[in-house]
Amino acid sequence: MRLTLHVNGEPHEVEARTDESLLDVLRRELGLLSVRETCGIGVCGACTVLVDGAPMSGCLLLAPLAEGRELTTVEGLGGDHPVQRAFEQARGFQCGYCTPGMILTAARLLEEQPQPSEADVRVAMSGNLCRCGSYVKIIEAVLLAAGRKEEVWTS
Amino acid sequence: MTDPRVTGASRYAEDVELPGLLHARIVRSLYPHARVLSVTVPDGVVALTPDDVRGLGRYGCQIQDSTVLAVDRARFAGDPVAAVAAETEREAEEAAALVEVDYEELPAVFDAVEAAAPSATLVHEQHTASGGAAAYFALRPQAGTNICHTFSIRHGDVDAGFADAEVVVEETFRTAAAHHAHMEPHATVAHWNGDALEIWTGTQTPFNLREDLARVFEIPEERIRVVCPPMGGSFGAKTFLRTEAIAAALARKVGRPVKLVVPRSEEWVTINRHAATIEVKLGARADGTLVAKRVTCYADTGAYADCGPGVAQKMGFAAPGPYRIPNVWVDSYCVYTNLPPNGAFRGYGQMQTSWASERAMDLLAERLGLDPLELRLRNLLREGDRYCTGETMHDVHFAECLESAARAIGWHEDRRGKGLSVILKGMQTPSRASVAIEAGDDGIYTLRCATTEMGQGAKHALSLVAAELLGVEPTAIRFPDPDTAIVPYDTRTTSSRSTYMMSRALEAAAADLRRNGKRGFGEVVDEGGLDPHTGQGIASTHWHQGAAGAEVRVDEETGKLEIVRLHSSIYAGRVVDQAAAELQTEGAMIMGLGTALFEEVVYRDGHVVNANLSDYPVPAFADLPGALTCELIEREGAEIHGLGETALPPVPPAIGNALASLGRSLTDLPMTPEAVLG
Repeated sequence: MRLTLHVNGEPHEVEARTDESLLDVLRRELGLLSVRETCGIGVCGACTVLVDGAPMSGCLLLAPLAEGRELTTVEGLGGDHPVQRAFEQARGFQCGYCTPGMILTAARLLEEQPQPSEADVRVAMSGNLCRCGSYVKIIEAVLLAAGRKEEVWTS
Repeated sequence: MTDPRVTGASRYAEDVELPGLLHARIVRSLYPHARVLSVTVPDGVVALTPDDVRGLGRYGCQIQDSTVLAVDRARFAGDPVAAVAAETEREAEEAAALVEVDYEELPAVFDAVEAAAPSATLVHEQHTASGGAAAYFALRPQAGTNICHTFSIRHGDVDAGFADAEVVVEETFRTAAAHHAHMEPHATVAHWNGDALEIWTGTQTPFNLREDLARVFEIPEERIRVVCPPMGGSFGAKTFLRTEAIAAALARKVGRPVKLVVPRSEEWVTINRHAATIEVKLGARADGTLVAKRVTCYADTGAYADCGPGVAQKMGFAAPGPYRIPNVWVDSYCVYTNLPPNGAFRGYGQMQTSWASERAMDLLAERLGLDPLELRLRNLLREGDRYCTGETMHDVHFAECLESAARAIGWHEDRRGKGLSVILKGMQTPSRASVAIEAGDDGIYTLRCATTEMGQGAKHALSLVAAELLGVEPTAIRFPDPDTAIVPYDTRTTSSRSTYMMSRALEAAAADLRRNGKRGFGEVVDEGGLDPHTGQGIASTHWHQGAAGAEVRVDEETGKLEIVRLHSSIYAGRVVDQAAAELQTEGAMIMGLGTALFEEVVYRDGHVVNANLSDYPVPAFADLPGALTCELIEREGAEIHGLGETALPPVPPAIGNALASLGRSLTDLPMTPEAVLG
């Protein structure tokens, strides 16, 4: 079927099967390769997409159900978003596979809660896994983006 | 320039596209041990079957026990018996389900100690040692058994030692199989250009892989090109030959490029970490002086050896721990079972052996009525001591690491709920690293070397080293992905060796460049190795040293083990990239936390029953300790020390020892709530 997906501020006509996940369609039809599949069952967050601003697992959402909603992937943040800058500065990544999902979840957290505590970050980000275990520096990055660098727990 | 990891621009092997590319899917054995009677492929399905690969060579980095598909016998539930190719991944999945395989089930063995018995069902009838570069030590298989390698240490007179002991502790420790759970799956694209093979794959071992592929296809290594995009995590999983031969054989059969991405659920039957059973007997005088140690290790390597012999050897030579012990006897066995294969996993046998060794030290301290810190300090190796392998220890910092960890957790104020551990960890020996530097007219220097990137930060660290050596900004260094058609030889990117070995090769290359102007080549070779009969020789030219301290609380109702504080102190020599060194150390600690508390591949009748990231949890933000800290100990003028693995193995025993101080002494990993409640 043909779908119109609003991705990163632009409408896109795409071809998809009715039972296809948003993850597969974004990768194949639009080449948005920052959206990645790890678990395929909605527990790891590597395929996180902001759907009307809320982080969702692209592997669980059927593509037709994403029609008419505003979708954001990390490509849509432009590269100079405060959260991206903070991740780079704090080195909140190792292999980088989980990083787009982490950044999108953190961006949403800071919208809802501009001054999160370290504990807030841990809770809000717990749906995103980093097997490299960069968590300490990711927390640092999120607090840095919130302008709360002085509260970083490890320093 | 923004890092591609934060913009989403990173590309991994799974993202490689070629014109006309087909997608592959593996058809796997439903039985842990079965004769493959027939494979029937319906019309319209393109498949690789046992008949297609019967004429191809056998492979295996240390033992040549593998064929491209299970030709006559499937040896574990998940063993590849066929593979299909189709236009899309979905069509490949559907086609794979149409392939019919008839089996005749055979008796199977699932426990390494049972499998090591002379009467056990045999997984392989014979053990042919590989002559390849990854078989860097003499293999000692035992004919007519499931034991494919035995490593022994014979040092002093162990019976006399125990006769001299006033206190002896004896215990059997077990560690569960674990899974790497790298976030990017195993992914390979294979393409034949006439009779030359090109492979894009996530691998830590491009040259070992090329050697095995040459053996399979019986073509010269020069006709195979292995290109290594960065990996989305590996932790040892992407080493040696995994699914590359299947992709290449399919590509040759269909005459088109083939991409093979392992579905998540199949990762648990692709490669895991060795479960181990380790028997320890440790004797001391009443004042705590160690006099004898006897260790027997059984490493369950699953149905194919992979690098299991090396893992068993490392388990064996690290089993004595970083202590002066005059009488040591070690036998470490690498044993086949009908379980999925086990291979390299961050630390390579070290975690298993450190769990046993460091828990045993606390059991001994308790029996002696000594402070576990005091007992360790009394026996730790010091500068110039000889290890039980006969080699002399240099740049020794065990006591410094341990005392630092003790201070960090407030050991001297109150020991309740607290635990310590200290380890020594070898680096791949012998080994060879080489690099070429090319000076461009634009002021850019290009590094040609086989060090692969999996998130550990080797590219950045080596670029910093090169920039310093050449007196230029790091932005003037270009470090393309390794490509065996271009880069000089390197042993492999494992065992925390790359920053240490490759930075020395870079020094030589920079000196050569200064002499020659446009191009410099540098190589370092570290000789060494051990006699597998006696364990004498050079186990490691470069020892990694580290300690951990943990403070825990137990929820008496649920058995949940809460980690209040976790600290590690690691000897770093000289840190090249502070942030990356911390990331590697913290990451290793967090992985150690998963191993300590909950990670376990669960088998029922030989089948993995938790092959997904919900039933096999890995540490998340919510699992972090109350405080997680590390100290990287440096010394003026010291060499660079590898840091990729050292902080993992000390974590489980530090937590286990902390738990034991609360009266719950466990011998098996993981320490689940059920085990804690006992």
